Amino acid sequence: MTPNPAETGAAPAAPAAADPPAATRPAPGRLDPGYGRLTPLWFLLPAVGTLLVIGIYPTLFALVTSFRRYNLARPRDGFPFVGFENYLGVLGDRSYWDSLLLTARFFLTVMPVELVLGIAIALMLHQPGLSFLRALARVSLVVPLATTFAVVGLIGRLIFNRDFGVANQLLGFVGLGGFDWLGSSAGAFAAIAVMDVWQWTPFCALIFLAGLSMVPVEIEEAARLETPSRLALLRHVQLPYLLPGLTAVLILRSADILKLFDMVFVMTRGGPGAATDLISIYIQRIGFRVFDMGTASAQAILLLVVTIILSRLYIRLLYKEIDS
Amino acid sequence: MRKRTRGTAALALLAGATLWQAPARAADWLETAAAPLKGTAVTTTFLDRPGYRAIIKLLPEFEKKTGIKVNYEIVPYENAREKQVLNFTSRGDLTVALVDLVWIGEFAENGWIEPIDGLKGDAKVTDPNLNLQGFFPLLLDAFGTWGGKVYGLPFDNYSGLLFYNACMLKDAGFDKPPATWGALLKDYAPKLTKADKNQYAFALQSRRGETQSADSFMRVLWPFGGSLLDKNFKSNLNSPESQAGLQFRQDLMKYMPPGVVSFDHNEAVNALAQGQVAMITEWSAFYGTLTDPKTSKLGECLAVAPEPEGPAGRLPALGGFSLAVASQATDAEKKAAWLFIQWATSEAIARPYVEAGGVSGRSAIYQQPDIKASYKFVEPMVASWQKGVPQYRPRFPAWPAISEVVAEWGSKMMLGETTPAAGAKEIGSRMEGILGKEGYYSGKKALLQ
Repeated sequence: MTPNPAETGAAPAAPAAADPPAATRPAPGRLDPGYGRLTPLWFLLPAVGTLLVIGIYPTLFALVTSFRRYNLARPRDGFPFVGFENYLGVLGDRSYWDSLLLTARFFLTVMPVELVLGIAIALMLHQPGLSFLRALARVSLVVPLATTFAVVGLIGRLIFNRDFGVANQLLGFVGLGGFDWLGSSAGAFAAIAVMDVWQWTPFCALIFLAGLSMVPVEIEEAARLETPSRLALLRHVQLPYLLPGLTAVLILRSADILKLFDMVFVMTRGGPGAATDLISIYIQRIGFRVFDMGTASAQAILLLVVTIILSRLYIRLLYKEIDS
Repeated sequence: MRKRTRGTAALALLAGATLWQAPARAADWLETAAAPLKGTAVTTTFLDRPGYRAIIKLLPEFEKKTGIKVNYEIVPYENAREKQVLNFTSRGDLTVALVDLVWIGEFAENGWIEPIDGLKGDAKVTDPNLNLQGFFPLLLDAFGTWGGKVYGLPFDNYSGLLFYNACMLKDAGFDKPPATWGALLKDYAPKLTKADKNQYAFALQSRRGETQSADSFMRVLWPFGGSLLDKNFKSNLNSPESQAGLQFRQDLMKYMPPGVVSFDHNEAVNALAQGQVAMITEWSAFYGTLTDPKTSKLGECLAVAPEPEGPAGRLPALGGFSLAVASQATDAEKKAAWLFIQWATSEAIARPYVEAGGVSGRSAIYQQPDIKASYKFVEPMVASWQKGVPQYRPRFPAWPAISEVVAEWGSKMMLGETTPAAGAKEIGSRMEGILGKEGYYSGKKALLQ
């Protein structure tokens, strides 16, 4: 006769075969996910490993290098640690600050244009009707994005050529004479800004279009019935859905502009004078013309700090607005 | 009389036989020397320029004779130094270094290239007709020599020349090109410039980068008696002579196309080729572009002369590349590389090289009447190479850093953002900062340029 567990106070013995091992047994109150605890680790490992190799390791290497005298073209001098010497050198370098300010000016010039044009294009593509043309426009938007930066620079050199460029031809239609785009400081700055707007406005438009498609149809329709004002619709209904995209655009474009190199190098090499000497052009010169990797690394690390601060600012300012 | 004729004929035959046999002997020598090295590969860097395209055409002959495989990568000039420095610092696969004249100090001081003394000492792999005296002394000195030792042999050789549109000059009343920079500015430039017709007297390629520092800025220093550095390696840019040169460039600006500050070589050559400007000073290597009907409208109007003289004489731009054996190569690769370099720069190959579009550094080839007749640039180029400044651009390791400073402030001067005096002062102080860091003022480094 088997004793009644209720009477003895002992737990009933389950059949041994049905009892899962302790390591894989789900915690009390949780459902069995159907896989082992280590399984997610194996899925994540390739991505994390790749990130470590191509992202984290080079960054750490740059960080260490920034504290060394590290000139690749002077291997006989060795690569000794020099503390903050490189950072002090960078902070006291007028050209570095000039380049950084120029980059900020470039960002403040192109970003508002790209955002306004991007929103305008997204709103136009969000209108109902003409589905074939809209699909065609969406595909066309990808073309500038898919164009290699260096090729954009080459196209820019042709467009802004003083004698046979399209830009001067268009100006000629309204009676304006041949403007010397790439040979003057203001013209060269304007030329690289135009090419950047050409390449990146579609990116903004596509992001905003994705945001607009997130607006629930019934809310948008109800709002259209409430007010005929498109501005009010945009401000009160669509804008909150655009803010996450806007944050992403700002973060990505800030980082992009800080490392914008190929297009400008091909178009102007940072000239004439220092008119288009953006920070990435300057750092590349220190790194790969002078081969002073210590200084270039210190400059890059400072730039990384700027990027992180800007990203945190965007997230703090814009995400708060979404919450409210 | 008859005897004399016979004697002359015999001598001519003998000379002909000698000339005929010289390449054959060299070929035999090359095959013998390369026999133990069959299957070895040499790796080098080439540029997308006529001299390299010429040697690429001739390479199969070398590979067939020697069994040595020549691997090359064609890179833009702007990346050539970067690629090679990274290769040498990471102990890569380059066995033949392509050395621009301004890289020789850096490559030699870092021990990345071998002096030829050791290689030349091995008779088994040295051309019996090597004849270093056969190179133009200026080229061997400037392109291949550092600290009194020869490292590289001149391979792709340039001199600055005055290319001009003789028809435009004739229409303006000139039957010959300007002999001096002063005449170019005062007499020729005003008559040849018609801004309303988009026609200008002169174009000086001045795009930021090495084009600004080497082709534009330095070009106006030397002929006016100026220089970048004085004998103590302090800036000489504010000397009256250097300032005269820099001011001359500013004065010439009004006779140059607007936007000349953004002109690279191609734009300047194109401006002449399409009739926008009457004169340019460019490297001899652009002769082919200017004579090709596909790229130039000049036809018979193209003429070539040495660069004009300045108050200090004719001191034209000097540029070019040598080939040197890389120290990182294995012994067998070094021998194979040495054979390749000797062959590519030899007297035996000078004619096919020139005929394929290259510019040899060997003087003998330019004495051949048919070569002189076929290539208009030969005589002015040879005249330019008789006298010149090997340190036209300083060849020490600090030049790339200084070149960047010159490029930035030289462009600013041209744009009028700073005056020649203020710009020169800024370049001078930054340049001295760089040289001080390098140890030139503390006595750590010899004052070699």
